[in-house]
Amino acid sequence: MKNKNLFQFITFLLITVFVVVGCSDKSSSKSGGTSNGGAPSELTYASTSDAAGLSPIDTNDSVSSNVTGQIYETLFTQDPKTLETEPLLAESYETPDDNTWVIKLREGITFHDGTPFNAEAVKYTFEQIKDPERAAPRASLLAPIESIEVKDEYTVVLKTKEPYGPMLAALSHTNAAIVSPAADKEGDIGKNPVGTGPFVFEKWVEGDHVTLKRNEDYWREPAELEKVTFKVVPETSTAISMLETGEVQFIDALPSDQLPRIESIKSVKVQKSEGTRVSYLGFNMEKAPFNELEFRQAVAYGVDQEAYVAQLNGLGTYNESIIGPKVFGYNEEAKNEGYPFDKEKAKEMIKENGYSGEKITLLTANRDNYMKMAEIVQSQLTEIGLTVEIETMEWATFLDTARKGNYEMTFLGWSNSTADGSELLYPNLHSDNIGSSNYSRYKNEAFDKLVQESRSTVDQEVRKEKLHEANIMAIKDAPWIVMEHGTVTAAYDKSVSGLVVDPTGKWSLYNVSRK
Amino acid sequence: MIGLIVRRFLQLVLLLLGISFLVFMSMHIAPGDPATIIGGPTASASDLEAIRNDLGLDRPVIVQYADYLGGILQGDFGYSFQTGQPVTDAILTRFPNTIKLATASMIVAIIIGIVTGIVSAIKQNSWIDLSSTTFALAGVSIPNFWLGTMLILVFAVNLQWLPVGGLSAPIYTIEGMKELILPAITLGTASAALIARMSRSAMLEVIRSDYIRTAKAKGVKPRSLIWIHALRNAMIPVVTVIGINFGGLLGGTIITEQVFAINGIGRLMIDAIASRDFPIVQGTVLLVAAIFVLVNLIVDLIYAFIDPRITYN
Repeated sequence: MKNKNLFQFITFLLITVFVVVGCSDKSSSKSGGTSNGGAPSELTYASTSDAAGLSPIDTNDSVSSNVTGQIYETLFTQDPKTLETEPLLAESYETPDDNTWVIKLREGITFHDGTPFNAEAVKYTFEQIKDPERAAPRASLLAPIESIEVKDEYTVVLKTKEPYGPMLAALSHTNAAIVSPAADKEGDIGKNPVGTGPFVFEKWVEGDHVTLKRNEDYWREPAELEKVTFKVVPETSTAISMLETGEVQFIDALPSDQLPRIESIKSVKVQKSEGTRVSYLGFNMEKAPFNELEFRQAVAYGVDQEAYVAQLNGLGTYNESIIGPKVFGYNEEAKNEGYPFDKEKAKEMIKENGYSGEKITLLTANRDNYMKMAEIVQSQLTEIGLTVEIETMEWATFLDTARKGNYEMTFLGWSNSTADGSELLYPNLHSDNIGSSNYSRYKNEAFDKLVQESRSTVDQEVRKEKLHEANIMAIKDAPWIVMEHGTVTAAYDKSVSGLVVDPTGKWSLYNVSRK
Repeated sequence: MIGLIVRRFLQLVLLLLGISFLVFMSMHIAPGDPATIIGGPTASASDLEAIRNDLGLDRPVIVQYADYLGGILQGDFGYSFQTGQPVTDAILTRFPNTIKLATASMIVAIIIGIVTGIVSAIKQNSWIDLSSTTFALAGVSIPNFWLGTMLILVFAVNLQWLPVGGLSAPIYTIEGMKELILPAITLGTASAALIARMSRSAMLEVIRSDYIRTAKAKGVKPRSLIWIHALRNAMIPVVTVIGINFGGLLGGTIITEQVFAINGIGRLMIDAIASRDFPIVQGTVLLVAAIFVLVNLIVDLIYAFIDPRITYN
């Protein structure tokens, strides 16, 4: 008899399942609450991974920044279209001398916990970022600042050891956002973030989603959206399906191979614009023959970047300049200063200098477009007479290996979150950073000097010239061969308007609305 | 019976101790530095040093391990390197999702597997048998990734009957059940196929045995012959397959969780491995190992229930 019952139970279960599926209402899966006029006032964004934390001081990844960027604000900000620096929490600033920055703050702003935003809060935040005990991953942003003084309630004075050119870019960085000192002292702002921004933290289910609600007491006009959700959807193809069915309304950083599918969805709009990211083929400058200019030149002539960019479905552009068109310090002249594709010349140089048949290994991380780059470059370099092998590694292992200099040639990219040329050339190519972020181990005193000057000059025009000069030097010296300058992308439901992705890939939901 | 349980628990403790040592050491020996991941490519050498110091990674490995074991004895499995969350919290938020998914998949697998297995054994060599053995072969061979994506495209994107992904609504609501259907089918198919093959061969063996022939000769109706007399004896190997499969599913099902955006143990583990979040990797591996051993113990106990001739003394 027991078995008969089981059979009946199973039949019952199957019927239930079919009834549940059959009764479903097609439109019920569309999310988004509605406010006045029936327009949805909620937005769900899907990202491939979860935020590491919600404290701008203690994180350094773009996923976390996407969330913290809506909750916290910085003293200065960059216009998403022009990238011009504008005051945000600051009202104005002056530099009585090259080492002093007097910043006047906006009055009457409060943090989400009700405590006032003032010079003390700025001092507290910056001191936390600089505190070695706290081990803030972007401590280097404020490293040149020697002291932070509170002049009065709404005036803060920053003093540097030597002039710091990219100061405003650094103060606009998401990781230099101002936090509520009370909230940070009493609790963990990584879990319960408290800022001054247009959205207030509501809930974080780790690994699944973060929800924020509108800050009704915002110091500017409150945002249009009432509620925003950051949902973790690890698989891009799933995220695209969700965008198609309306379960999410916004995704970004679209992979080039999925672009045709996204563009074919009728209810979705795709935004593409030039970005600050540069991807490159880098040489290990401490190993032979990679440290020989002739070899690097031959490789540079042998690589046809256009053939690679052609495979990106319209994302990415090529230009020989290391500092890209959207980065401060770019000068048009630089774009033709490198070594354009010329197979015959490359072959000749390989032969003349006795590099024929030289065996080289391309270290490649198995993510982003690096595998694609490696395969294309492998076949191109084989054609000019080199023997090329690809060594693939998973990201964490790759970073470790590349940092230690255990490679010959590799592919990497730099997103440049401040869009400032000094923030590209200094970490990546200045000899101070050999063993850390200077993966190519490039060491050139003249270049170092120019980069140093670009950092320690406050006059922006002079900085631009120094950066241009340094850029030309690096292009000619070729520790890097540019592969592409990135395109920033977003895809969103047609009901969404007001979204602008800036060249660094950042966006704010403040001006976004749905109709 | 009690003796068996006590013995198994002692074995479990030793096993977990061994596993914790192996996982701890292999994570520390493997290339990839948690500090580089946290600091990102921009971090300077001194930034990294500060992070390592903060995480306690600058101490000798053996000291770190002793410290870790000491913590476990007090119920402290450490804190995530990435988020600072206690490991137990990280696991407890995700485990209910994995249990839901594993249970739903197992229900799908058992229903489809046993029914098709039995039917094809009874109707051996008929078209039903042929199609169900084909299903079994296909079910084992189809990669979850592909099956999940296809189900999403058909049932969620085109027909819009079911949501694409996520497990957010409570299980007892209609929305909650709808969310589970596609992932459960995706994950349950391979197990269903295995169970079907196992049920078919076990059933074929049993219905050819003497006692079934005797029962038939005595005039027992075909339906009760199969469902009462034969099924129970055919179940022993099937229960073993179900048990092992269920243990595996509870250990997290990386691909299905990934495709359907389900916040479960499998994804927690794979993300932790990628970001070298040692405490989370250690915690999840220990959990998975413990579950596997416990499920096997339960399977052993079920044997005695199904076949009273089996005793544990």
